This record gives sequence, structure tokens and C-alpha cells, in this order.
Amino acid sequence: MSESGEGTGDSEGISDGERISDGEGIREKERIDRSRRDRVSDTVRNLFVIATRELRTIVRTPAILALAAAFVASVGGVAWAGTGGRGGFVPLTLDLLTFVEVLVPLLAVAFGYRSILGDRGTGELDVLRTFDVSRVSYVGGVYLGRALALVSLVVGTLLAVGLLVPTLTADIPTFLAVNEAADSGVRYVRFVALAAVFTLVVLAAVVGISATTRSVRTAFALAAALALALVLGIDTALVAGIASGLVPGDGIGVLLALSPNSAFRGLVLSTAIGAVGGAEVAAGEPLLNGVGLLAWWLVSLSVAVRRVWPVVESIEE
Amino acid sequence: MSENGPETVLRARAIDQSFGDVDVLSGVSLSVPRGTVAAVVGPNGSGKTTLLRVLAGIAAPTGGTVSLQRGGTGARRVGYLPQRPAFRAGFSARDTLEFYAQLLDGVDGRDVDATLERVGLGEVRDRSVGSLSGGMTRLLGLGAAVLGDPDVLILDEPGSGLDPSMVERLFRVVGDLAEDGTAVVIASHELPAVEAHADAVHVLDGGRFVASGSPGELRSGTDATSLSEAFLRLVRTDAGETTVRAGLDETTEKTSAGETTERANADGNRSDVDGSEVTTDE
Repeated sequence: MSESGEGTGDSEGISDGERISDGEGIREKERIDRSRRDRVSDTVRNLFVIATRELRTIVRTPAILALAAAFVASVGGVAWAGTGGRGGFVPLTLDLLTFVEVLVPLLAVAFGYRSILGDRGTGELDVLRTFDVSRVSYVGGVYLGRALALVSLVVGTLLAVGLLVPTLTADIPTFLAVNEAADSGVRYVRFVALAAVFTLVVLAAVVGISATTRSVRTAFALAAALALALVLGIDTALVAGIASGLVPGDGIGVLLALSPNSAFRGLVLSTAIGAVGGAEVAAGEPLLNGVGLLAWWLVSLSVAVRRVWPVVESIEE
Repeated sequence: MSENGPETVLRARAIDQSFGDVDVLSGVSLSVPRGTVAAVVGPNGSGKTTLLRVLAGIAAPTGGTVSLQRGGTGARRVGYLPQRPAFRAGFSARDTLEFYAQLLDGVDGRDVDATLERVGLGEVRDRSVGSLSGGMTRLLGLGAAVLGDPDVLILDEPGSGLDPSMVERLFRVVGDLAEDGTAVVIASHELPAVEAHADAVHVLDGGRFVASGSPGELRSGTDATSLSEAFLRLVRTDAGETTVRAGLDETTEKTSAGETTERANADGNRSDVDGSEVTTDE
């Protein structure tokens, strides 16, 4: 590029060689742009191909289908037998909240702990790499496929039992939202949406474990430990910390946001429950809880992409 | 041999590979021209699989470079068959190849069917991969490797566990691919088949090539009547012994007498068939 050619169309003082060089530069830039677009297009295409394969794998795995059926039956049972289904949407949400906190991590372990490890074990991971599949395509595809299946299961089941409320509740609501205090379907939909987000975050953590570990035993142990920590360990540690004075009372909002379970619980309490019996629920900081969930999701998937296989520099002559 | 000319498609220069303190490959160089079959033979544990993974671009070498020259009309650069191929359960043979085909530009269902026919699985295309025999699974792995007509095909012991007729069929397929211009690298213990089909044979022992040349050159250089006999002379193993290599060290175990003898860095005493440099065919 000519140093004097600041304005467009100013050709004075530019030699023929420089014009040719300019033309070559533009062509090179176009070539690079085209190559970049092709790479992005290939990445997206491969991601969806792999996601489709994951979905097909899920529906062909009897053990996962049995677990899904057990989840549907359990949630249906809670809604039918508990006070929730008959009491309205907010009681139903309160009935299902703990249930979702416990069952979703367990389902995520079942859906995800062998997702990448399985391909590593069979050697298909090596074969896939010779098809120029990028790490983002592969991990993204595996995650997307598994997430579509798991989120559909969780959301579909929760929405289905939500439909029981108008059927079972004596005072059938004929509105969606009237005011903050009303027991409405909108509040329940918020709970279902947050359950979907929680599912995505926990599954990302399990897929991260599957990408990082090299044996089924290690992956299962780590995934089970993660589920246990989420369901019980982190909350227990926080309670113990507060009781012993190690955790200051005013820092509890930040600490609650560090665990996906407590962040999810806080968001449900603040956005889907609101006030219980006229009293506001102490549910931490919604923004912090949201950031906490986002951080878990981003870190988990980043670790999965970085650890799934090492980058090998390709040299073409 | 191909009619496409002798240009080198795959070139490995001074490959070193270590795992912790164990040096598996040391200064291995290799060039594979288009349309030729290069066989890598060697005792168990001599580093064949490690070398093939490096050549396929799956593992990064500790030292050295691997370069590929594009120029073929295929949809991919490298096809790879691992030593023990396995596939996701619940899918048919056709489903499996169809999945891989979707990752390639310009490869469709007709190519999948043609590939299944080519590797001899046309009759069982709709059978679940879980119900395929070990040999059939290996042939399906070969199908996944050749799909998209790669410039370079890397096969890790493709004949292992196959009956002689299947081995012959497999090597015929490999020969056909080379005729079409593919550069093939194959690690194999089926030395008669290697002798019949390979253009160049590289004997890997202790992480180094101890001999390279055509099967005829290896035979004549060792005064052997067959490649199997030449191999035994080159790796200094008598029939009746089992030889296992561990990195650049090696252990030879006499099964008949139950004696164990360890020889450290014995490759230092080796020479190739011409008595000259041992590591490269360039």
C-alpha cells in the first residue's frame, strides 16, 4: 500500500508495481475472507452433523430412555400426589424445585459422562479428526445434541405437569398474569425456563468432565462427585461456614452464586416465587446468580474444547 | 504403481516422539510418493502405531515435521484406520459411513454405498455395527478411512484378526486405491501380503528404521528367500522367540527356555540392507 495514498482514488505518486501490489493485496484479503467464511460454514455444518448423531444415539440407548421415563414418572407423581398440582402454580414450583435440583444433575451425568469419552474409547475420536472436524464443532455438536435431548425432556415434563394445575385446582385460573402476588402460569413458565438454563449448565460441566478424563471409571467418579457436590456438598459447606463464622453473613449472596444449584434456586425464588405468604424470600442477588451460572457454562465448555484433543499443526506443501 | 507421477505426497522429517522418559521414535524420516504403498513392519512395541498417529496428524511429534502435499481430487487429506476400530452401537454399517460422509464436501449416499461394496460390506450394510464380526468391523473401519478418496491413507494393522482371504481382499483394495493415486502407509504383520503388494517396506525397530527398500531389495540384502525371513534377520529374532520392544530399549524373551535377556539400545549395532544410512527412503 502506498504511504501517500491516504484518500481513495488518489493514484498520483503510485508506481505500477505498487498498483499491482495493491491488487494482489485485495485479492489476498478476499481469499482470506472467503477461506474464513468457508471455515465458519464448515464448523457450523459439522456441529449440526455431530449434534444429529448425538440425538440419534440418545434415542437408541435403552438405559437413557429408561431413566427419562423414570424422571417423567417421578415428576408426574410429585405433581399428582403433592399439594402442588392442586394448590396452584407457585405451590407446584415449590414442590418441584428441590426435585429438579436433585434429579437434573443425576440425569445430566447419565446423558453426558460418556458422551466424549465413548468416542475416545472406541477410537472414533481419532478417526473424526482426520475428517478435519474442529474442536468447537465436535464439542459443540456433542453438547448441542445431548442438551437438546435433555432440555426437551426436562422442559417437556415440567410443562406437561404444569398443565395439571388448571385441571386439578378447584379455583381454575382463567388468566395468565394479573399482578405480582398472583399465582400465575407465567411464574411457572419462568421456573421451567430457569430449569432449562440449570440443565444446560450442569450438562456442560458433565461434558467438560467427559472431555477431560481418559477412562470411564474416572469420568463416572468425577461426574458423580460433581452431582453430589452440587446437590449436597456446596450447600452443606456454606451452611457450615456460616455457622462457624468462616463465611460472613454479608458475603452470602456472592457465595450462593458460585454453586449452580444455589444460583438456580435463588433465581427461582426471586423470579418465579417472589413473595411467600406476603414475605419476600431471601434469594441472593439475581444478577450474581445469573453471572454464576453463565461462568459455570462458559468455563465448562471452554475446558471441554481445550482438553478434547491437542492441536496438531498441519503443514501443507 | 500409479501413472500419476512420483511426487511425494507425505513427507516426515526426523520424527522424535517421547512419552515422559520413554523415547518411542527417534529421527524417523519417511517419504511416500503418490500412488505407492509403503509398509511399516516391526516387532510389537517398536513404535509403529505411534508413528502412524504422527503421520495421520493425530499426535504431535516431540520433534520433526510431517508435511502433506495436496493435489488429489478427493474430499479429504488423510484417511486413517486405527488398530482396533470400533463404532457407536445402535447404528447400522450404512448409518455409520453416512455420518462420516456428511462431514465431507461432495460425498453423498451413493459414495457410501460404493464404499461399502468396495470393502465387501454391501451385503450387510443394514446390519447393526454391534452384530458385525471383528473382521467386518475392521472392513467398516477401512470404509471410513477410504471415504472421500483421501490423498494419504494410513492403516494400522488392517489385517489383524482377518482370515487369509479377507487379508488378500483388503490388500487388493489398498492396491486399487494406490492405483488411483492415493499414497498408502500401512503397518502390518501380514508379511506375505506386504511382500506381494507393498512398493516399499520400512523395518521399524527400537524407534528407528533399521532397513528400508522394496521387498526384493530387503530379501536380497539379507540373503533371504522371503520377506518374513528378511524381517527375522533384520530384527535379529529367530523363529520360536517372541520379541517385545519397549521404547528404544528392547527385551527379547526366549519362550522355549523361559530365559529373559535384556539388550539396551541394540539399534546402535544395526545397519540397513546396503550397509548405509538406515533411516530414510528419500
